[in-house]
Amino acid sequence: MKRPEPFEIYRPTSIREALQIRQTKGAGGYFQAGGTDLVIAVKEKGLVPKYVVDLKKISPLRVIREESDGSLRIGALVTMRELETSTLIRNRYPFLAQSAAEVGSVQIRNRATVGGNVANATPSADVAPALLVLDAEARISGLHGERSVPLAEFFVGPSKTVMMQSELLTEIVIPATHGVRGEYIKFSPREMMDLAYVGVAVALVFESNDKTCSRARIALGAVSPTPIRARKAEAILHNRVLTEELAELAGNEAATECSPISDVRSSAEYRREMVRVNTKRALLNVAAHITEPLRWIERRDRKY
Amino acid sequence: MEALEVVGKSVARVDGKDKVTGRATYGYDLVLPNMVYGKVLFSTRPHAKIHLLNVEKARNHPGVLCVVTGEDAPWTWGEAVKDTPFLANGKVRYVGEPIAAVAALDEDTAQAAVGLIEVEYEDLPAYLDAEEACAPGAFPIHEDYPNYRKEQFVNPHTSWPNICEHFKLRTGNVTQGFKESDLVLEERYRVPKIGHAAMEPHSAHAQVDPASGRVTVWVANDAPFRALHILSEALGLPQEQIRLINPFQGGGFGSKGGLKVEPIAIALAYRTNGRPVRVKFNRPETFSSTITRHGATVTIKSGVRNDGTLMARQVTIYWGAGAYAEKSPTVCIRGSLPSPGPYRIPHVQVDGYAVYTNEAVAGAFRGYGIPQTAWACEQHTDELAKRLGIDPLEFRLKNIFVDGDLTYWGEKLQNVGLKETLLKATEGIGWGKASNGSFKRKGVKIGRGFACILKPTRTPTTSTALVTIDASGVATIMAGTVEIGQGCSTILSQIAAEELRIPFEMVRMHPLDTDVIPVDASTTSSRSTYHMGNAVRLAAIDAREKIAKMAAAALGSSDDNLKFSNGNVLLKAGPPGVVSIAKLILDNLGTEGKVCGKGSYTFELGKDLNSNDGHSEHASAFYMYATQAAEVAVDEETGRVRLMRVVAAHDVGKAINPASCVGQIEGGLVMGIGAALHEELIVDRKGKIRNPSFLDYHLLTSLDVPEMTCIIVECPEPLGPYGAKGLGEPGLAPTPAAIGNAVANALGTRIYDLPLTIERVYWAIQSMKKKSPQVQLTGAS
Repeated sequence: MKRPEPFEIYRPTSIREALQIRQTKGAGGYFQAGGTDLVIAVKEKGLVPKYVVDLKKISPLRVIREESDGSLRIGALVTMRELETSTLIRNRYPFLAQSAAEVGSVQIRNRATVGGNVANATPSADVAPALLVLDAEARISGLHGERSVPLAEFFVGPSKTVMMQSELLTEIVIPATHGVRGEYIKFSPREMMDLAYVGVAVALVFESNDKTCSRARIALGAVSPTPIRARKAEAILHNRVLTEELAELAGNEAATECSPISDVRSSAEYRREMVRVNTKRALLNVAAHITEPLRWIERRDRKY
Repeated sequence: MEALEVVGKSVARVDGKDKVTGRATYGYDLVLPNMVYGKVLFSTRPHAKIHLLNVEKARNHPGVLCVVTGEDAPWTWGEAVKDTPFLANGKVRYVGEPIAAVAALDEDTAQAAVGLIEVEYEDLPAYLDAEEACAPGAFPIHEDYPNYRKEQFVNPHTSWPNICEHFKLRTGNVTQGFKESDLVLEERYRVPKIGHAAMEPHSAHAQVDPASGRVTVWVANDAPFRALHILSEALGLPQEQIRLINPFQGGGFGSKGGLKVEPIAIALAYRTNGRPVRVKFNRPETFSSTITRHGATVTIKSGVRNDGTLMARQVTIYWGAGAYAEKSPTVCIRGSLPSPGPYRIPHVQVDGYAVYTNEAVAGAFRGYGIPQTAWACEQHTDELAKRLGIDPLEFRLKNIFVDGDLTYWGEKLQNVGLKETLLKATEGIGWGKASNGSFKRKGVKIGRGFACILKPTRTPTTSTALVTIDASGVATIMAGTVEIGQGCSTILSQIAAEELRIPFEMVRMHPLDTDVIPVDASTTSSRSTYHMGNAVRLAAIDAREKIAKMAAAALGSSDDNLKFSNGNVLLKAGPPGVVSIAKLILDNLGTEGKVCGKGSYTFELGKDLNSNDGHSEHASAFYMYATQAAEVAVDEETGRVRLMRVVAAHDVGKAINPASCVGQIEGGLVMGIGAALHEELIVDRKGKIRNPSFLDYHLLTSLDVPEMTCIIVECPEPLGPYGAKGLGEPGLAPTPAAIGNAVANALGTRIYDLPLTIERVYWAIQSMKKKSPQVQLTGAS
């Protein structure tokens, strides 16, 4: 591991100040949140930043709050551990908390942030599929104002997003939805401390207890250049009763919608098969608990 | 005989507190005054001539003290074959081979200077597969092999290229044996290269005294005296001109013997004008440039009678040695020898070939070849039983070694605890009974399997120890066994306390320094409890006898009327009399006085294997026996093998410290499960290891570890201390085969290649369902 070349580091206390520094200093700078990706890039992958803008002192970005309309706002600096342990999140969307709990170790989750995970746009980012199925939006700030981008349009390619150099991801907004039940399956060979070989998130709204899906969202991680929605698979479920056969059809469809690669971890063919199997499983896991209250399930009891 | 006081008890580890509080100084932590930092240029080619090596820019880089290449360090070493240059000399033979090294005032400067070294290569044909490397007409990786100096036991194959050892075992006539059989089955099994993944990466610190030329090396080496010998041979220095000091070692599992980082540190230290040099490998360097476990291809053919009698077995093994011989000849010899398994077989033929390839060097790895051959032999044995319609347990009970059996290498075995381990492990897993069904899901198949092994130890070898007792009554053990994490300091302290009858807390271990510690062969081969245990026991008895003489005089009694207890000497009979050991030493030898006991142990019956037929009447001082059983849940939809339970029964002879034994078995199981399900060094077509980090080289996490039941079987070895045998290595040896058998039991199809990754198992299930050979599965022929 190499000691980094000296660089300037700024610690602004407001979003505006952070953006101004970025504008003044120009190219070659990086925003830093938890640093769990950036520090490795500097020490092990030869990244040489000209300067770094450390965002950790911008305290408004560290909050999860519920708006009066029922939507949730997750500040970009909320750590994975905070997302995982938040009572609000665990009660409303336990599968989102569980997706955060899949990241690295507790030590890593104490530093890694939701904003960092999303803005870095790694195809295998664990919270991205869970946020995608919740129709989350990214709030982006620039010196000339703010904008909102649906997360489904936010990712452009590996490590590429719609954000400009001069912009900062400030919040993730989850619109109010009633009766959402979801599941995130991180499929990897090891139970913990691994990268997703395949990540599958589903979020369903049932009309009543008869398992008819009035709303279905499926998102996939690690099997395309970006985390993606599997819209054709979603369409199969729409206004249909979620049976095993239907889940299987949706799984087959999702497997055709992704474009996985072969690498040292696994072959593209296997990844595609696992999208098929795990999409089906995620759907059936949701359907199996339809009459139970939403609850957090410990990792050791969630064996995929 | 008096009852044992501390031997056999689970006393807490003497090194535990220092380690868990972070006080222990490991080799990697060491800081020496005025030290400089070394960094290495590694080969990026698997096999190439070095056309040009220009170090001028690096030499002139500010902060650089020296740059060394093969020309500056013209030394060659080798444990069996003297084939390894300190730094590549004119040619590279694997990706990761050290070519040049830089010493500088700090690590970053050294690394920057390494980046300034220019190399031009001329590529040569590269071999990444052992069988291709020894095929007729293959390009020689070592052109000079015939001229290399070799140890006597090395038996090269003269007509095939790139063979650095050919082990032969011939017993009976296998052709005849197959003829007399009702069923003959031949299968081929494969085991990949894996990494040791010790918690502490490799490092070495070296210093050369400019005035005397004396070389001092601080290194966590598991055999400092062997390293001393090898260095003395390589550098042409008398042994007293070299000193090795052992800091704490953060694991090794075989990877830290011989020479690894030492040659680089020494080559630099000759040119830093007396300043000590630190060379630390990071994790990728440790994976790529130290050693790996041997990948192996094992072809096994057996003939059996319908009643389950094993008639003949023929085993052919290709061991991928990597670019240099290192310990390959002895891994090939001692790993191939018992490859037909712990069974009575009248006709046996074994051919083991250690083959040079252009991959990272393979060497010792906990188990020394047994895990690879057990993967083949134990699955094959299950397959035979299955085809005969005999229960695998019954099949083994019919054929396994028991007391008095003559092995196929010509040794009469005694004190064989194998049957007991077999019965206890299978009972523990519930063999023959219905599963509890603790993991129920559609498409999940439950299976059980077990595997047993026999493991010899390096023989003959010698251990020597001193036990001193000072005037405060504290005993100090001076022994060359390295605390590699296995718990030897605790075991040896228990033995000394037992013989001296002093409180366990009154025993200390002297730090390991070859200048002052008496010689020991190595901390390898599960040999220490037996050999060094005996040496320490003899040394403690020697000291006790000297104290007894003092006590007899002080108490006015005869030697045989004395009893040692709790640091005192008492009279057994007659008028009461008592004197403390401390007082005896103070009165007789003064405040600085010490009683010194000496002990040395060699297994004198030990005989080398005959190079023509592989036979020996006493191939090993003792044998270790183990059976492990596993219950798996195989998810047919994903290929995931989830281990539900593992039961491990090990014959240890006598458990000196039962908690420590359980720790060894559990540690072995975790390693064995990793090797079974995850671990593989993936080498690309250019010879580069693709996954040299813990991101993609998967070790188990605590969530991946199943319920483990460890059963200690005590079938005493009369020559071992208190009956002890060894235990360090067998913990992982039968594990993959037990899991493989359980998977085959669950699926009804067998997988021949390790590891049983989710993807390999998935495609095996698919090809079984479709009956099409979609995936590379070397099957039964």
